Amino acid sequence: MDGRIVVGAFRDGGGENRMSELVRVTDITKVYQGGITGALNGVSVTIEQGEFTAIMGPSGSGKSTLLNLVAGVDRPTSGTVVVGGTDLGKLGEAGLARFRRDHIGFVFQFFYLLPNLTALENVLIPAQLKGDPASGRARELLERLGITDVANRYPARLSGGQQQRVAIARALINNPTLLLADEPTGALDRRSGDQVMELLGELHREGQTILLVTHDAKLATRHAARVISVVDGKVVDDARLESPERAASDVIRVRSEEASR
Amino acid sequence: MSLKYGVLGLLKAEPLHGYEVKNRFEAMLGGTWDVNIGQIYTTLQRLERDGLVRPVGARGDRGKQSYELSPAGQKALDDWLAQPDSGPQQLHEEIYVKLLLATRIANGDLKGMLARQKRAYLQRLRDLNRLEERARRDGRIDLARLVRGALLHTEADLKWMDELSSERFGTEGAKTE
Repeated sequence: MDGRIVVGAFRDGGGENRMSELVRVTDITKVYQGGITGALNGVSVTIEQGEFTAIMGPSGSGKSTLLNLVAGVDRPTSGTVVVGGTDLGKLGEAGLARFRRDHIGFVFQFFYLLPNLTALENVLIPAQLKGDPASGRARELLERLGITDVANRYPARLSGGQQQRVAIARALINNPTLLLADEPTGALDRRSGDQVMELLGELHREGQTILLVTHDAKLATRHAARVISVVDGKVVDDARLESPERAASDVIRVRSEEASR
Repeated sequence: MSLKYGVLGLLKAEPLHGYEVKNRFEAMLGGTWDVNIGQIYTTLQRLERDGLVRPVGARGDRGKQSYELSPAGQKALDDWLAQPDSGPQQLHEEIYVKLLLATRIANGDLKGMLARQKRAYLQRLRDLNRLEERARRDGRIDLARLVRGALLHTEADLKWMDELSSERFGTEGAKTE
């Protein structure tokens, strides 16, 4: 694949050292008025640069809340969120908006494309907010994601899988430090979902740091070698999985010698 | 199931001798079922005794004998294929017995056991995902489908661990005695 786009290089370290830690969440709580689910209760997590991490948990466990706090779209009730050396709690609204624009790519379950803009225009929005025309890069991304031929279509005329690929292009247009994906295949059929997951795996192999939220353990372990389990607002497990090449017979047995005797 | 229907199914396509049956069977299963040549010969002898296969042609070099499906073998194969897999569910894994015992033992450390088992299932899912990816890359769609089944089974096991983790455990096991 030529004309490939290099993603994930952390360009703007804010003077911080270039060690591999990218996200540090320390003892955060999030309390919602009226006991809405999704609260967090004392969560601490660090994410390394270049990691593909899955956050897994049932609905209402707080896993999406955690993602929103890392993205700077929401603020914790207490505790700190530091991303790329920037303490998000120290940023005002404008600073937080700038942080999101420059460092965060966000992919959602229901795409959230603007209906009155074409695919290409949707992809370009985050760059335009920055005053960056970026049309060359947008074209490259569309090409890369296999949606060049629908660039001028409106979202309503795209399939779910195409809409999600447009949303991914939009998330990548500003070369985000961190790509966040909240159930990105949740609204897709299995084939489109597999394509989206394949794409995330490819981006990760090229160095993109990815944080994936899902309730699906099969998806969580597809590319992520680290799975953080959240239940009732708490991290109950932080599993670092191994990824050796195993022979089929070491992974799955329809019937073993011993059992067949 | 035994090897019996696997052998019948392979002979349906063309006559084969023992080693060919072994090789094709292992290739079909992608290494997920160990067979030794002795089992194949025993199976072929029994099938011949029961009239489901019959020798075809002369013995080749080193006494290799090919077999073909008889009409009775064909019928047995068709019946088996038409039959759904039913009967009691086979649970081969130790975790089922461990859990039953742990609920009866005061220091069974159920929570720890469930957490460790959950980890093991996550690792298995990871291994299965990578195997599925490799099978697809190698064009082994049949193996990839098998692995997909294993993924779904493991997901169910993991969900079971989650359900158990949210339960309170007492010494309920003791009451059943």
